[in-house]
Amino acid sequence: MEEGLQPEYGPKWSDQRVERMLGALVLAVVALLVGLIVVVLANGWPSFAHNGLSWFGSGGNVDEELNAISQSAETGSGYVYTFHAWPLIWSTILICGGAVIVGLVTALFISVFLVEFAPAWMSNVLRPVVRFLASVPSVIYGLLGVLVLVPFIGNHLITEHQKASVAGIISLSGYSLMAAVIILAIMIAPLMVSIFTDALSSVKPGWLEGSLALGVNRWRTIWKIGVRAARPAIVAGTVLALARAIGESVMLAMISGSTAFAPNPADGLIFIYEPSRPLAPTIVKSVDQLSSPPAKATLFAIASFLLFSGALFSLAGWATRRAMSRYGAA
Amino acid sequence: MNPKIHFVYTADGGNAGIKDVQNGTSQFAGQARTPLPSDAGTTYIKLYLDGLCLDVNPKNKLSNISIQSAHDIYRGLLTNWSQIPGSNLTTTIDPVGRDTNGGTYNFFLQSVLNNEPPASNVNALTADGLVVNAVKQDPNAIGYAGLAWQKGIKPVKVNGVKCEPKNISVEPLKYPLSRYIFVVLPTDNPSPAVQKFVDWARTSPEAGAVINKAGGVAAFNKK
Repeated sequence: MEEGLQPEYGPKWSDQRVERMLGALVLAVVALLVGLIVVVLANGWPSFAHNGLSWFGSGGNVDEELNAISQSAETGSGYVYTFHAWPLIWSTILICGGAVIVGLVTALFISVFLVEFAPAWMSNVLRPVVRFLASVPSVIYGLLGVLVLVPFIGNHLITEHQKASVAGIISLSGYSLMAAVIILAIMIAPLMVSIFTDALSSVKPGWLEGSLALGVNRWRTIWKIGVRAARPAIVAGTVLALARAIGESVMLAMISGSTAFAPNPADGLIFIYEPSRPLAPTIVKSVDQLSSPPAKATLFAIASFLLFSGALFSLAGWATRRAMSRYGAA
Repeated sequence: MNPKIHFVYTADGGNAGIKDVQNGTSQFAGQARTPLPSDAGTTYIKLYLDGLCLDVNPKNKLSNISIQSAHDIYRGLLTNWSQIPGSNLTTTIDPVGRDTNGGTYNFFLQSVLNNEPPASNVNALTADGLVVNAVKQDPNAIGYAGLAWQKGIKPVKVNGVKCEPKNISVEPLKYPLSRYIFVVLPTDNPSPAVQKFVDWARTSPEAGAVINKAGGVAAFNKK
């Protein structure tokens, strides 16, 4: 075959044909997504309908409520739906919020270092390593937590006095807010680093050079101009990381503790050692009860809430990015 | 032996297995608890025996515990090792157990907790291996696990009887937390191949050796 000539691949792929095929594929994906949302919402609706706004409120013990819900299918005296999700929502906010804050700060400094200060060989080695870390399955981080971090916190950081003060209500054995936040931050930080470094490296070189030429030092230049210009991408990376954090279930089910307890910052420092259970692990731990219709509705209601918050964060991220895009870049 | 038969094993908790037998997804399932009213349409056949051991960390001096004490620990009534004679500890107890997806959970609930739910200070983990790991790592922990799991943790006597095969294998079952492991078939039209397999697993010496090696206690297999 001569160079430069188009090879023959069976029937000819005209632009119109490609357009139709890809369009159909996209439509199928959109239809799948809509179907998913409809199924989840429809299945979860009875739980919202019976509880109204108090679904999101506090009051009562979530574990006892879930027990009563799943058992009500067998007693024959009518389904029970009473469910107040606040301890689970609060645990999700604390763990995901904490992890995103810790992850954001760490990832930002690591990215600035990698892009601006690290010698080329180090940057060339570390950037692929970070990409690899971002794709490690979460259950591996969970094992790391169970084998290393949880025993360390339980045996070395928590004091007997602290354990005794809450004995009989919750166990402070290392399965804690602190372990969950640290491991989740380790899990999502590489994702942020890989997005942040790409954004920082694509800031227009002229802007940085201009600043340097004016005699501004490298740190101030990258912080005031590089990071500022990359802000839309930083928001995008953070939203992506937040979405991954909120949906994380297996790893958190392993290390956050199993009690649907709402850690209270007013208790003092001890609250970071308290166990709690976010929304997604609650679904994992209760899948067994899907055969009970009211329990199924409750679990799907939790899933709807997670879907809805995910969508909300994407929207908020998009709005923020738009507002910031006047600073240029990404 | 029929070389044309293949097995597909899904480990997703005993209760899920029963559901699959009920709706025909599976031809048989393993189960570690006695039948519940919700298991209609299935037949339970005793396959072999297992003991549920109560375990503490090897550093704990405790050698014996009563069912009543275990009940009180998991109900949150006893919270300090000083309330349990023999442990030489004065620290807070960290009770560890399974989540509601586990057959071990149901067995423990029936035989120790009198069907009262565990207290909020019980850390419910998602797998037996995680329970064993938690007890191994934490000197103040107490947990429960089947005979096959007793490595790196210390099983204690329950009501004075050791958790070991010879107290579990023969009727009357001396060990208080002995249990039958069942194989569950659909009541109507079970597959003949499956019935043949179950007979073989229940009675042949070869299957008995496999059961014992895996940490169970063969009950009906010929020696």
